[in-house]
Amino acid sequence: MKKDILRLGIALALFAAGACAALAVVYTVTEPTIAGLEREQLKASLQDLFPDADSFDAIEGGLESSVPGVTVTGAWKAGRGDATLGVAIKASASSYGGDAVMLVGVSTDRRIAGARVMTLSDTPGLGANAVNPAYFVDKTAKKTFPGQFAGKLINDAFEVKNDVVAISASTITSKALTSIVKEAGLVGSAWLEGNASGGTR
Amino acid sequence: MNRMWKIFVKGLVAENPLLMLMIGLCSSVAVTSSVSNGIGMGLAMTFVIVFAEFVISLFRKLIPSDARIPIFIIVIAAFTTMVDLSMQAYFPALSKSMGVFIPLIVVNCIIMGRVEAFASKEKPLDAVVDALGMGLGYTWVLIGIATLRELLGNGSLMGARIMPESFQPILFFTLPPGGFMVFALFISLNLWLKRKMAANAVVAKEAA
Repeated sequence: MKKDILRLGIALALFAAGACAALAVVYTVTEPTIAGLEREQLKASLQDLFPDADSFDAIEGGLESSVPGVTVTGAWKAGRGDATLGVAIKASASSYGGDAVMLVGVSTDRRIAGARVMTLSDTPGLGANAVNPAYFVDKTAKKTFPGQFAGKLINDAFEVKNDVVAISASTITSKALTSIVKEAGLVGSAWLEGNASGGTR
Repeated sequence: MNRMWKIFVKGLVAENPLLMLMIGLCSSVAVTSSVSNGIGMGLAMTFVIVFAEFVISLFRKLIPSDARIPIFIIVIAAFTTMVDLSMQAYFPALSKSMGVFIPLIVVNCIIMGRVEAFASKEKPLDAVVDALGMGLGYTWVLIGIATLRELLGNGSLMGARIMPESFQPILFFTLPPGGFMVFALFISLNLWLKRKMAANAVVAKEAA
């Protein structure tokens, strides 16, 4: 009996070791590509929010969300030469199908420069319309759900179905995304007030 | 050769994993809301099942039967993670839209079922053929279901709008209840196909 357990254990360990070795090889090969893609995607999104900026510097610390449920996971200062154009905040909150991650640009004039949804797993045809570039909450002005935040003052109410148009039949997703934009706007403008140099108010 | 063909073709209709064996249903209802997801999931799962069946059949005499289930899971999980990493690196868009489903291949009962019922007893070449048949049987059903659901539920195919502007998408088909209904349609279609093929076989036998 004892011998049997040893034999089974050794067999199991050998198979596990083989699988580990194979996985290590694949990981080493794909890891640089995956990291590179992530960096590129972030760079493209940042540039999208601040088309005039020529530099993005990561901001370490000092940015904390004050509402429970919304977490700030990263921040970048968008600059052009010596001037600060604004700050981009990456923040997440719990949405309908798990965590939603957004990148929100806050400009020095206390407005939302733009908002992009980075990660969202949601029902196709309903909440997932938040990332559909062809789904317009405002059909006449051709504004997508995240697109409607551009130019909004950060002190606005940010109330779904009031000053924010909801995605039809997806109130939870609409509210979650709106709360991210609102909090990111407040956090971002507070940081800009304390740190921005050469910006205009 | 004829024997190989029989092993291969049974996965497509007569023993189709989804429509006849009725295993691995949960992930298939979940991913079939769009055709590109269906294709991606089908191919990823085919890749994993082919390699898992091959490796396990290769080592079938070395796998102690008392510890076979954990060993199967280690092998399947390793290949699934490889697929996941390669998709993230080379097909980021696909990997984004399928996100949570890829890790689910590990617990896809079709792979577990075929490894246990077939690969752990048969020769490696036979196992690969069986895996290909099962994988493609899974893939065609996913693509079929996804085509109907995306067309009716979203008015598009592969993300491109096909239906006229006046067509109001029937959201029901994108949601799980619609998925179950289309699934049932495909089960009956498959039963009809199977009966038709059996009848043809009898006719051919009598003629000979």
